Amino acid sequence: MQSKRIDSFIMVMAVVFMGGAVFVMGLLPWLGREHVMTVTTMDGKVVQAKPYTALEARGRQVYIREGCWYCHSQYVRPVTGEDRRWGPVSQEGEYAFDVPHMFGTRRIGPDLTREGGRVSDDWHFAHHFNPRMVVPDSIMPRFPWLYNGVDANGRPKPTDDAVALVAYLQKLGTNLGPWRKNFLYVSAGSSIPFIPGAISDGIEEGKKVYVRRCIGCHGATGDGQGPVAVFLSPKPREFKDGIFKFRSTPSGSIPTDGDLYRTITMGVRGTAMPPWHELTEEDRWFVVQYVKSFSDRFKYEMPGDLIVIPAEPTNDAASVARGKVVYEQMKCAECHGVDGKGDGPSASTLRDNWGNVILPRDFTKGGTEMKSGPAPQDLYKAFSTGLDGTPMPSYSDFLNPDQRWDLVHYVMSFGPADTYLILTKRE
Amino acid sequence: MVVSQSYEESGPIVNVDLVKQWLFWGIIWTMIFPLVGLLVSIKFNYPDWLGTTSWLTWGRLRPMHVNGVILGSFSTTFFGLVLYMIPKLTGIRMVGERMGYWALWLWNLGVVLGSYSLMAGYQKGVEVGDYAQWADVPLFIAFFILTYMVVATIIRRKEKLLYISLYYVAGAMVWTAINFPLGNLLLPYKVPGVNNAALHGLYIHYIVGLWITPAGLALIYFFLPLAAKNPLYSHKLSLVGFWSLAFFYPFVGIHHYLYSPIPNWTQTIAIVTSMMLIVPVWTVTQNFFGTMMGNWKSLQDSFVAKFCIMGAIFYLIGCFQGSTEALRGMQQLTHFTDFVIAHSHLTVFGTFVVWTMAGVYYVWPRVTGHALWSKTLATWHFWLIAISFSVMAGVLALMGLVQGTEWANSVEFVDTVVAMKPYWFIRTLSGLGMDIGIFLFMVNMFMTAREPSPFPERDREKALEGAPAD
Repeated sequence: MQSKRIDSFIMVMAVVFMGGAVFVMGLLPWLGREHVMTVTTMDGKVVQAKPYTALEARGRQVYIREGCWYCHSQYVRPVTGEDRRWGPVSQEGEYAFDVPHMFGTRRIGPDLTREGGRVSDDWHFAHHFNPRMVVPDSIMPRFPWLYNGVDANGRPKPTDDAVALVAYLQKLGTNLGPWRKNFLYVSAGSSIPFIPGAISDGIEEGKKVYVRRCIGCHGATGDGQGPVAVFLSPKPREFKDGIFKFRSTPSGSIPTDGDLYRTITMGVRGTAMPPWHELTEEDRWFVVQYVKSFSDRFKYEMPGDLIVIPAEPTNDAASVARGKVVYEQMKCAECHGVDGKGDGPSASTLRDNWGNVILPRDFTKGGTEMKSGPAPQDLYKAFSTGLDGTPMPSYSDFLNPDQRWDLVHYVMSFGPADTYLILTKRE
Repeated sequence: MVVSQSYEESGPIVNVDLVKQWLFWGIIWTMIFPLVGLLVSIKFNYPDWLGTTSWLTWGRLRPMHVNGVILGSFSTTFFGLVLYMIPKLTGIRMVGERMGYWALWLWNLGVVLGSYSLMAGYQKGVEVGDYAQWADVPLFIAFFILTYMVVATIIRRKEKLLYISLYYVAGAMVWTAINFPLGNLLLPYKVPGVNNAALHGLYIHYIVGLWITPAGLALIYFFLPLAAKNPLYSHKLSLVGFWSLAFFYPFVGIHHYLYSPIPNWTQTIAIVTSMMLIVPVWTVTQNFFGTMMGNWKSLQDSFVAKFCIMGAIFYLIGCFQGSTEALRGMQQLTHFTDFVIAHSHLTVFGTFVVWTMAGVYYVWPRVTGHALWSKTLATWHFWLIAISFSVMAGVLALMGLVQGTEWANSVEFVDTVVAMKPYWFIRTLSGLGMDIGIFLFMVNMFMTAREPSPFPERDREKALEGAPAD
């Protein structure tokens, strides 16, 4: 061992050991196998992962530049209930276009694997401007340098970088297809159809939840004028009038506690309302009580009779054709457009009860983007109850159940079929 | 044998001026980059602190702290100590000594440019290889110069025996000369998807396992016997440590991404080899404590021995923690939490930066020719680091377990963040204690350089005989 040949021996062996490990651990799985670019969706279909658009790729650079990935990991593990918190477990093909990867090693903030589609772009713009405005307990940095001046409404104007960053965030996790339709129902659990009276007090506890989670948008007094509101369209719900869109009760009635609980749990797609499935069920019930306390209607009125949703008839061409007739008769195209894109002649003039702009739903985006929920039954319910406070009326008095189901099938035909959650027979 | 016999005959062979300059900058970086960590840690409790300027945001200062401590604080000091150590072990002057000055300024330029590139938003997106590519260029050139100097000096040495420190230095330099291009040229541009993550896992752990660890071990194998005035306990055992490290360490990196879509069998290999790292850790620790045996008294009056042993204790704790947290069951709870941050601080700071400090306490008086300015300050330095750092490592590990358990029990995410705030506050306080300690260290060293009282045995030590010459 005292010979000088040991020198070259050490250095050669050092290189051999390291090279061997790099080969086995790094190069073999990379070059020795096909590059996986497909993903198996929640419905069991194998689909191709989509590359980033130019805008999303730019947003990814901003994400790297601002060091977002030091706090936000990007993979969901199959352990410790992560797939119930964040969404489905990560698959290899989802990362096909990631160079460099953004897995991350720390979760100081939430995992962002499944961030795309969770909340609207507006929520992100408000949140990047000042996270504590939206989430009072947040420790995320502010990013005021991604904004430049304010517009006529006093809303800070995002720069191109900010727009790109949000486009990137909305892309995250969407390679898995419309997974959110299943996730929402799973996370909401069996409590969705729960009827009032479960917890009648708990207002004080509900207030504690409200000031930590809701106050930024809905405001301290429940007037929907929290500091975040200026960023948002549609505007946050105003609670004082006790008028709610998503109910299982007839038009003009107050909702059940279960309706409010469901909206809180699932959030409202396409708006800034996030899903709150991570809160304990108790906290969600408490905050329902607190939200009700803003309006006297809940003191003096009772929810109307629940809307009955009959079993869905067969969704076939004939039903869709009948639905098309109903769509024309009821003048749905006036707001939602002939192609269902939400661009009918009067679409731009619509206002809600409080004078805020409200856009008709774009049906071509499909079930996962439906505010009321991703199942055909949710559409049926929306036709039956109307969305109170908006120009969307109830059709209970105009359409019989079969006509409503035909209309559901016609509306569904505008968007991708797999975005709808087809509930298998219950009971 | 710790110091070359032939050195005794040939007289001074260390370029003390070069060593002094490297160490000067090493001390400066050792002050600055942990301080950046202290400043950003305040953001956990006061997120608006330094919060509205893009240059000072968390996402830009955090990599500056991580890369800075590794490449600035640790590596710069290490190079200074290597330039002292290698002539002593080989019996000849460094080959290409003049290039050492170029390397110093290129290295410093790289660290400064790199930190600037992060603050200005040019980072690559590769953890622990974050600096922009144009900032890597001077670092690479400096590193290749130093690798040449070290390897050439070792090959031309007069001393026949290749002391264990030289194994580690040569290994560290050669490995890292391969690893730098892997992480900084290949990764960010070429490899897509989960394979990018797999190779990055390897890269990240080559930085700690094939650079910091062997480099740090080279230091303590040299300085501990000198401080304890005992020969090394067993050279054979140290070789077992070296070869087991060389064999197992290259595989472990993928344990950073367990339960990810990276192929499962590579994860399993990474876990097995991570556990096998207990072998080098155990042999190394056995060797240190064996060397101290019979002369524990030297702990009383030698700051070198004090810092060596403190580092060795943190090394033992940090490495056992590291091996166990590579296990799947453990990682379910601890991954993504501050438990991992506890590990990285225990090893990088608690062990290796502390060992460079031990080296500075030994070398600085010898290259400046002045006796240590203040033993009181050195004592304060020692205890501030020992106590503050124990608190920091403890609180980080504890909070990681708490938060991991909360996540596993479906506590709402923001609630788990709020629950961490008191722990983060203690972490910041402990960081303050550490930084005060480092500040005293810096003051003490700079005053030593100006201190008139001469150091009696400038650049000179006796070879320690008696080690088993195997």
